[in-house]
Amino acid sequence: MLIHFRIILHSELLCCIRQPQSWLYPITFFVIVVSLFPIAFTLDQTLVEKYMPACIWIAALLASLLSIENIFYADLEAGYLEQLLLSPSSLALNVFAKLIAYWMASLLPLIVLTPLLGLFFHLAVPTVLSLCVSLLLGTPILVLLGGFVTALTIGLNQQGALLGLIFLPLMMPILIISVTLIQQSQAGLSIASPAALLAGLALFAMTLLPWVIATVLRMSVDG
Amino acid sequence: MQHQLVAQQLSFKRQQSLLFERLSFSLSAGDLFLVEGSNGSGKSTLLKALVNLAKFTFGEVLWRDCKIDLPVSDYISKLHYVGHADGIKLRLTVLENIRLLAQLTASSHDIKQRSLLDVASVLTLLRLNQHQSTQVHYLSQGEKRRLALAKLFLVSKPIWILDEPLTALDSETQALFLTQLASHLKNNGMAIISTHHFSPFECFAFQRISLN
Repeated sequence: MLIHFRIILHSELLCCIRQPQSWLYPITFFVIVVSLFPIAFTLDQTLVEKYMPACIWIAALLASLLSIENIFYADLEAGYLEQLLLSPSSLALNVFAKLIAYWMASLLPLIVLTPLLGLFFHLAVPTVLSLCVSLLLGTPILVLLGGFVTALTIGLNQQGALLGLIFLPLMMPILIISVTLIQQSQAGLSIASPAALLAGLALFAMTLLPWVIATVLRMSVDG
Repeated sequence: MQHQLVAQQLSFKRQQSLLFERLSFSLSAGDLFLVEGSNGSGKSTLLKALVNLAKFTFGEVLWRDCKIDLPVSDYISKLHYVGHADGIKLRLTVLENIRLLAQLTASSHDIKQRSLLDVASVLTLLRLNQHQSTQVHYLSQGEKRRLALAKLFLVSKPIWILDEPLTALDSETQALFLTQLASHLKNNGMAIISTHHFSPFECFAFQRISLN
């Protein structure tokens, strides 16, 4: 089981590294969207400090939506998805490995870049820290739910718009909890409870969704 | 001899149009089954449904008296499927792809049991050893096809289900494939192959079906 998990993780990461657009586009998109907000706010430092963390979160959400569309599609076209489905090893674990590789390649760079953006907009250090914590806990849920929605829509034409219509409402609770976490840290309160809630949701998603995605993929390919 | 793979009354309907109806056949060890038909006649769909990637509208397939779509059936772990698309990752090198595919098709049982040939000799056999660290993206169509077929020779499985394996192959590789197929059948393997024409397979005894 673990042999398959390791080799798929390794192969997917290699593919991402050799295809710079898979990680370069999301991060560039993220930086551009983030820098749009202060321009729209004019140069009011209190507004920027207050709302920027939430804007960074929304930008991360949109950036992940942009790239997750292709996560299974290229493999479907190449016939590789069929081979995954026919493998005697566990499809859920293989899908999980694929999603982890995707998260490492396209969302981890955003989280790494966030402190730099915080510096850029003169955000306080605790705010930046709590922002990073919320992104670290929240983006895995983003990827798993995104993988689920992509698997659902893979058999359809023009899945792009539909993907957003299903994915964004699903993400609202995560956004609400993450923004609460950041607001509590800005107000000087403890972030333990929203952080624990996010971590719990992430664990829940990790234990449940790979199996759901595996089942949905089998159904979608059939159609 | 008892039949191992039995298909009964298979029908497939897609959006009101009937692709095929009441196909029945049975295969025992050492049998070759050819599926012939023009483009769009349902060859690929039949093969996909035979590996559980699609569902027959009616009919069932039994492998050793057990329905192939039941979770208890070991059918899927006993077969090699090469579909219409090559099923390889374009950004990986030849060597990385061959390792990945062999690993994916192998069950834990196959890994312990030594495979037929090692990776290096399969690459030499398929004349891909010069390209082993080239990304598959840069290979020609025929070379990609050869790579897709490599796992047949790497991991031994009793059933081969191949969708037009000879397309894009040069005559030298076709001959190599046919010798490998002959030895597979001689070792009590079975094969279901879709093709446009029977001529390359004339040296074999085979059952055939035409979808039209």
